Amino acid sequence: MRYSALSDVRVVDLTHYIAGPYATKLLADMGADVVKVEPVQGEGGRGLGPKRGSGDCDRGGLFAFLNLNKRGVTLNLKHAGGRELMTALLEDADLLVENFAPGTLAEFGLAPDALLEKFPRLSIVSISNFGQDGPERDGRLNDLVLFARGGWTFPVGEPNREPLTPPGSLAQYVSALYGAIGAMQAITARDLGLGRGQHVDVSILEATVATMIYETVTFQYTGALRSRAGKRFAVGPFLIVTLRCKDGYAGLHCVTDKQFEGLCDLMERRELAFDPRFDTALNRMINNDALLEIVEPFFLCHERRWLYQEGQRRTIPLVPIPSVGEVLEWEQTRARNYFETIDDPALGKIRVPGTPLRLTSHRAEPSRPAPRLGEHNREIFGGRLKLSDAAIKALQQAGTI
Amino acid sequence: MNTIFDAKLKVLDLSMGWAGPLVGQMFAEMGAMVIKVEDTHHFDWWRGSLSMAPAEMQPIERSAVFNTANRGKRGVTLDLASPRGIEILRRLIKVSDLLIENFSPGVMDRLGLGYDAVSAINPRMIMISMPSFGSDGPESNARGYGNTVEAMAGVTGLTGYHDGDGQHYTLSNALGDPVAGLHGVFALMVALRERERSGRGQLVELAQVETLIPFVTEGILEHQFIGKAPMIRGNRHREHAPHGLYRCGRTDDWIAIACETDVQWRSLAKALALDHLLDDKRFADAQTRKANEDALDEELSRALADTNLDESVKRLRACNVLAAPLNSAPAVMGDPQLQSREYFVPIERAVVGTHLYPGAVARMRETPLSADAPAPLLGEHNRQVFREMLAMSDEEIAELESSGVIGSSPRQYRAAS
Repeated sequence: MRYSALSDVRVVDLTHYIAGPYATKLLADMGADVVKVEPVQGEGGRGLGPKRGSGDCDRGGLFAFLNLNKRGVTLNLKHAGGRELMTALLEDADLLVENFAPGTLAEFGLAPDALLEKFPRLSIVSISNFGQDGPERDGRLNDLVLFARGGWTFPVGEPNREPLTPPGSLAQYVSALYGAIGAMQAITARDLGLGRGQHVDVSILEATVATMIYETVTFQYTGALRSRAGKRFAVGPFLIVTLRCKDGYAGLHCVTDKQFEGLCDLMERRELAFDPRFDTALNRMINNDALLEIVEPFFLCHERRWLYQEGQRRTIPLVPIPSVGEVLEWEQTRARNYFETIDDPALGKIRVPGTPLRLTSHRAEPSRPAPRLGEHNREIFGGRLKLSDAAIKALQQAGTI
Repeated sequence: MNTIFDAKLKVLDLSMGWAGPLVGQMFAEMGAMVIKVEDTHHFDWWRGSLSMAPAEMQPIERSAVFNTANRGKRGVTLDLASPRGIEILRRLIKVSDLLIENFSPGVMDRLGLGYDAVSAINPRMIMISMPSFGSDGPESNARGYGNTVEAMAGVTGLTGYHDGDGQHYTLSNALGDPVAGLHGVFALMVALRERERSGRGQLVELAQVETLIPFVTEGILEHQFIGKAPMIRGNRHREHAPHGLYRCGRTDDWIAIACETDVQWRSLAKALALDHLLDDKRFADAQTRKANEDALDEELSRALADTNLDESVKRLRACNVLAAPLNSAPAVMGDPQLQSREYFVPIERAVVGTHLYPGAVARMRETPLSADAPAPLLGEHNRQVFREMLAMSDEEIAELESSGVIGSSPRQYRAAS
């Protein structure tokens, strides 16, 4: 789904893989005019995600999602002609978003400082592993290594075996959000009186650490370090735990006194709320193991759905843990028309998450599928940059577009 | 202009926990004047419980997480169960730009402050509602916090060991909260721009669970294309091996190692004196390494068992293998790259003293974000805010205090709604 709130914002999108493309997708979903610039062989992330259909399919499913609502052109930035076109695109752009290794833009003759001088209204958002400076600026990362280094993995998993890394590329998406917010911050500052654009530098490592406040700050306050507590989030003055039940798993988030009283009521063990082992948050922390021993067998002999209904009836945050397939079929997402069906030119009909932001100032419109490689070359180079058909053809033959 | 908003933007933050407060905190980073509104009965539950320490210790001023997520705000209290408390809130709404709330659906309506009422007081007000599962739909009243939101988004169902018995694990950082908060900031920035154009405010709605579901899109598509749930891979990768966490030495030191190419694998084997594995057919390429990953992991575990963590990380990085220590909190704070960029910022705050807090993420040279102001004590800025924003007299403020409409000491803790 897309809104047209940012229809006056022009974005030149030099991003690839996940963190950059999700940042520009957030802008595109809000109506920004995003022109995705790919090398002539396509960006590295075109193959991301599962595929289906014919062998010449130019995209994986994740690419098809991450690049909704963008237009696509190709440009060889190693050609002088390619750089010229790039410069022409930046002429009236508000934002250039990129997630290359630091220094790459300069190698393309697009050094950020020079661009800012040449195009005073332009802002540049750079998302990189470690930021644009520092001793490890040029270092490499992947998700496993990032989560370990940034502190997300340390407290997760069974105490008697290796720690457990979070699934997928979660921190890439988190970084994308900081990038999209950075883009809005830069154009807001410009329009509120600064009058010129600026360079926004987002480090994926810092974005990861920013979203892990439990550990870094709490440790300084108390000296206590959370250790791996298995199915529990931690041993604390609460019971936040993933519990096996009769037909799967349920998640319990029991923090306040009221939630604990609700849990006791659910288990028909109201006396536990007055039990000296559990009557205060502090005591529930001291006797956390004993509490878990009481709760576990109760969950084991009940079904997820019953636990969810009866728990929620007592206002306990207690949920069945769904598979991704169940998320797709959940009556709540269905009732809110959250998932959107895209008729993708290569993959056919796919259901993908819609925009999570609901503006009331605009009507949501259906998303446009991710562009084929160079799909909008003619529209952008001919329409916006006013190149003749012959000139476009020559660029094509030279391998510039 | 030193900051983006130079205190000209006024934000009312009625939210609790992390998701909503993070929105206010990030607007404070941009130089907005952010007013955190609490109730001496229903103060922010992230302050913790009064039972955690004797009253003279001020336990609710010692919450590391509250003190992080509410930095840079002015703190006021209002008894929202009393008509006078609501009346003062309405006066604050009249002179503010943004309103952040993450109550359960219906609470603002019960206070008489649903969006229509808010808009009638101040048509330029932009209000953001951040319920867990949405303001409509059959499950809109279900309770969810960070970890349960994370579960309903499908994240928990994907988290487990590759050889586990089906047990799922919850992430360590209640990811649903900061992700919802970041979306909230983005949405409000968009709505502010829209207000510049139209002159009107609006209601923005964001269901926390819906902000996190996109992060598992790959699994959702896999389910559609293949017809079954994606495999739970734990520390392993779909295509590459080795890819995991291995113990170094006899303590709880672990190293994360990933090889994405054959070249990296050969460098790794040489660096760990595992040259004999280079001719081993089981490990010749990514495909065979994946097929024999248990044996491969055993070899690596043995080779790393007697090494020193820091030396191993250094040695592997030197030959371009992806490697990092499993960092605990103090190790994260000592990370040389983070230190070099002065990521953590020192803040002195009443009751708890000086500590380092995570800084603003986006680095902007012209209008730098500042995350270095402390979180307010309960009701700390009552006097200042009511005097400056509502032109109240000292007598009026004193009267509100004595009648219990405002205050600065907590009353008996009750759960937040």
